[in-house]
Amino acid sequence: MSHSIRRGVLLFGLALTLGFALMGFEMLASRYLYPYFGGGITTWASLIATVLVALMAGYLLGGALVDRTMSPRLCGYLLVIAGAYLFSIPLWVDPLFSWTLQSIGDGMAGIIFGATTLLLLPLTLISVFTPFAVRLLLTSVTFGGRLVGYVYGVSTVGNVLGTLITVFTLMPMFGSRALTMVFAGVIIICGAVMILNDRFLRGGTA
Amino acid sequence: MAFAGLAVAALASPLLAQGGLLESRESLYNNIFIFGDRDSVTMTFGHNKRYFTESSMKLSDPGGLTVDYTRLMSVGIAYAPKLERVLEIGLGGGRTVSYLSAALPDTAILAVEIDKDVVELAKKYFKFTETARLRAVVSDGRAFLMRDRETWDVIMIDAYRGPFVPFHLLTKEFYTLVKSRLSPGGVVVQNIEPSTMLFDSASATLKSVFPSVDLYDGGGNVVAVGYDGPSLRQSDLAARAAKAQEQYKLRYDLRTMVASRRVLGRPTGKIMTDDFAPVETLRAIEQNNEKWKEQTEAPR
Repeated sequence: MSHSIRRGVLLFGLALTLGFALMGFEMLASRYLYPYFGGGITTWASLIATVLVALMAGYLLGGALVDRTMSPRLCGYLLVIAGAYLFSIPLWVDPLFSWTLQSIGDGMAGIIFGATTLLLLPLTLISVFTPFAVRLLLTSVTFGGRLVGYVYGVSTVGNVLGTLITVFTLMPMFGSRALTMVFAGVIIICGAVMILNDRFLRGGTA
Repeated sequence: MAFAGLAVAALASPLLAQGGLLESRESLYNNIFIFGDRDSVTMTFGHNKRYFTESSMKLSDPGGLTVDYTRLMSVGIAYAPKLERVLEIGLGGGRTVSYLSAALPDTAILAVEIDKDVVELAKKYFKFTETARLRAVVSDGRAFLMRDRETWDVIMIDAYRGPFVPFHLLTKEFYTLVKSRLSPGGVVVQNIEPSTMLFDSASATLKSVFPSVDLYDGGGNVVAVGYDGPSLRQSDLAARAAKAQEQYKLRYDLRTMVASRRVLGRPTGKIMTDDFAPVETLRAIEQNNEKWKEQTEAPR
């Protein structure tokens, strides 16, 4: 297998895995929010809006960072931070949300505060990956359109699988806290893979 | 308009309530349908037959409770040593709280309902009237209990019929919160639908928090009563029921209700927690309607 194909396989594999975990966290977050803010359409609206804000911020940040640095290692470090943050959620979520309910309430402000503290930072750092993947794979403008399409397509396949498999299979089997930690671990591993394969992903030989 | 209403009802599932559609409303939480004919009015939350009827009332007899299990929801009166404050989570048409409010002249009753449109429609079609002793607040049941530090003599939970099962009202953490809001000797009374695996888990979870859990067959639904301390002797409970019946002259006799008591002895379900509560998966697994009785024993 040629060098560029192996690089492509690795980056698309990461896009799929991170896409899976990202939507998995969105579904898991609902389980943390319901007990405090109720399980209605308002909770979902706040959650979805928070995830979309994180995606936007991540795309902007990732685009800016990759053009300046071209550094897969930097993206890897950001993923490790995201994973560590997510891993810690079960430790602080209950006291924080109890406080939120008492001080902010269960209206829009409270739910958005809850969803934001859970997901905004880590999901922003995860979605930084997408522009990194596009830029690292881009060797010729001729293929630019298709390449962007592939990266988004593969990442979205991960999103779809993450949504369905998390809810229908994984949550009924493992429970939310354990799953949060496993997904966080997977993101840390993805980050480590990028850090360790920095030269290879830049286009140098491994 | 009446004709249009009938046409919609005819197109809808025949399993739905009798009569024409009087009003449908899309609220923040539900699609609410009110059906009615000359003598009845019914509230449902959708066209699927699994989306149970939420409430119904005979116009010629508004004080009566038409659904069997809703009569049994009043059985908590027999258990509680005092009846100053009663809380209900899940209002529906408000028939149960209206019945209790009429029967118990010195009891303050509060209904917590997440959907403000349900409260409005209960007032509009089900003769639900707020008074100084009977009030409704719009809130998620759990969020309300977390913020409100008051205690209650009876807490009734009837919030998970209809199209969605709020998992956060079925977990060990939730019942622990409920227990902390009960006055000494207070009881929790909950309606549980027994035809799926969810029943096993819900009753086991209740039992994990309340040392004593009694079950009553409400003709399709089961009413569970949870309380602290050892299981009441049947003779003691019967005496309490007789005393309360004597005092309040209840239309649905408490003595008959407590005579059908079963005691939950061997819960088989898996305990649900905030961490692990696969309510949708459990509800998807149907089982024999009568099987739940195998987990119970006759009271002593």
